[in-house]
Amino acid sequence: MRPKTRIRRFTPLQRLFHLCLLLSFLTQGSTGLARLYIETSWGQGLAWVFGGYETCRTIHIYVGIFLIFLFLTHILYLFSKIKWKEFPRCLFTPDSILLQPKDIKDLIQHMLWFIGRAEAPRFDRWGYWEKFDYWAVFWGISVLGITGLLLAYSLIATRIIPGWGLNIALWVHRIEAILAMVHVFTIHFFIAHLRRHNFPMDRAMFEGSVSLHHTRNEKPAWVERLEQEGKMENALVPEAGAGRRALFLLFGYCAVAIGVFLLIGGMVNSPYITW
Amino acid sequence: MVDEITAAPRNASMAMADLTASQLRGCMRSLLGILSLLLILMTPLAESAWAQGEEVASAIRRYREHEVSTGYYEEYEVKPRRMLPLVEIPGVRRGLFPYSPSAAKVRIRTRLADSHQSIRFYERARCEKCHIEQTRDIHTVRANLTCRQCHGGEPIASIDHYYSPMNPIRRHAYVCAKCHEGSSASFASYVVHTPNPADMDTRKSFPALFYVFWGMVSMTIGTFLFALPHAALWGVRELFIKEEKAEGETKD
Ligand code: HEC
Ligand code: HEC
Ligand code: HEC
Repeated sequence: MRPKTRIRRFTPLQRLFHLCLLLSFLTQGSTGLARLYIETSWGQGLAWVFGGYETCRTIHIYVGIFLIFLFLTHILYLFSKIKWKEFPRCLFTPDSILLQPKDIKDLIQHMLWFIGRAEAPRFDRWGYWEKFDYWAVFWGISVLGITGLLLAYSLIATRIIPGWGLNIALWVHRIEAILAMVHVFTIHFFIAHLRRHNFPMDRAMFEGSVSLHHTRNEKPAWVERLEQEGKMENALVPEAGAGRRALFLLFGYCAVAIGVFLLIGGMVNSPYITW
Repeated sequence: MVDEITAAPRNASMAMADLTASQLRGCMRSLLGILSLLLILMTPLAESAWAQGEEVASAIRRYREHEVSTGYYEEYEVKPRRMLPLVEIPGVRRGLFPYSPSAAKVRIRTRLADSHQSIRFYERARCEKCHIEQTRDIHTVRANLTCRQCHGGEPIASIDHYYSPMNPIRRHAYVCAKCHEGSSASFASYVVHTPNPADMDTRKSFPALFYVFWGMVSMTIGTFLFALPHAALWGVRELFIKEEKAEGETKD
């Protein structure tokens, strides 16, 4: 038996949500960029992978609908997780993913720490950047999902909105998609992979647990709270075997490689398309 | 004798003259024949002298096969039914927020049966020579449509000419429904030649697009103005932490 050196952080269901999100996000990014860049050979190559310009549209629409269902399922999941007996109070505990005043304080203190003007903030279970990433997906899926449905089913949509609303929907869809991709392929990947604390990879979302030792450094308030409440015993799990760790690493770096490929290809080719 | 002698060449020259005259006549006849043959040959060719007739679409695919119009335009309602009050269709129906996507443009030939009436050298030029801005739309660039698949053959009526197929009161049925089966007047108010949303002119011609575009762009720029330096500083700062290694554990 391997020693129990890690704290459980994500349930298998949460990891499954993340895995589905990851796979469909990369698919949406590739098929969407393939269509946007179809005038360049880079875009044509990308479209070829999925079977051409039109197939890209079909895939993009159905994976998009899958994402919307994933999102709705996640919202149902959230409601099932709320402890309704302690209702409004339970939303403001340190275990809650909702933004709280402490996050603003943490953010300012964290930035002062960057320039050596303060102690590192004592983060609890969810750092403000993690909360931001989580809610950014909410915003992104709502905006992309709604504008995407309008464009995909334009004939039905124009019964509800005027046709010139599609011009606006198309631009909102584009800009939001670019924002989401650039954020995930730079900031999110940097924080999860390149930061010294996580290098070469933060396996939390794949393995489901984080190293106790490292977490004591980064999220001391959480670790102390677990110890004070006597929950630490239950939360500890052993590390995954070397084979699974290697698999996580390989999978993670494949995702990073695809993301960086899309990011660089998109930037290099952006002057050559009709926007 | 003398006469005879002189007569011979005279006769000869007369014969020569006769010969050349008949030859000339023959030449003329065959020339006329060739010319009229050429004329006959040229009649079917006359059409292709229109430079715009050369339009060829499709590196990606041909949309002609997508033109599914039934030809029964009465199937489509001209006036929109079952529309929410928000649905504003320029030229057809006023909504709560009156708006006209191309009202601010200065155009002169907006109500002619032939919008190119008496424009010189029109026949010899291609559409994009004079209308370069209109070639930057999704239908032309990505779907590889030709201008005439929407604007039709000669004469190309002005958009607002009363009987123009492009007139907003019937555009959905006569133009868009050829490919977008079941298109409504509201759908047809999609601005096919979308103006550049970043342009200052668009603030007048399509204000909603302009403000939403710049709203989204400022949100994006704002996010990265914060997030990129934040991540970079964080990355640098972490290099200076002194952390002890725990025993019996691989690096996380
Ligand atoms: C020789 C130049 C020239 C060529 C070639 C040309 N146009 Fe035009 N077109 C004009 C001009 C000038 C106007 C009037 C513009 C204005 O009103 O500001 C016009 C007007 C129009 C209009 C009416 C605009 C309105 O306000 O209602 C349409 C539609 C149009 N052109 C389509 C075409 C298409 C399609 C082609 C190719 C088959 C084409 N044009 C080729 C010069 C040209
Ligand atoms: C998908 C159908 C479609 C195609 C393809 C198309 N047009 Fe148009 N065009 C329209 C519609 C609809 C309008 C009316 C726009 C409005 O009222 O704002 C229009 C308007 C115009 C106008 C009037 C000025 C303006 O911008 O509103 C010109 C000029 C014109 N088109 C030229 C062209 C040329 C040149 C091409 C080929 C490169 C072309 N169009 C291709 C549908 C089309
Ligand atoms: C000759 C065929 C043809 C005609 C006519 C035509 N379209 Fe299209 N349209 C297409 C094709 C093909 C696409 C898909 C383009 C792509 O895949 O990027 C398209 C896409 C669109 C879209 C994008 C949203 C979607 O459903 O993907 C809109 C909006 C649209 N057309 C509006 C119009 C309007 C309004 C008219 C009439 C003025 C019109 N179209 C006339 C062929 C046509």
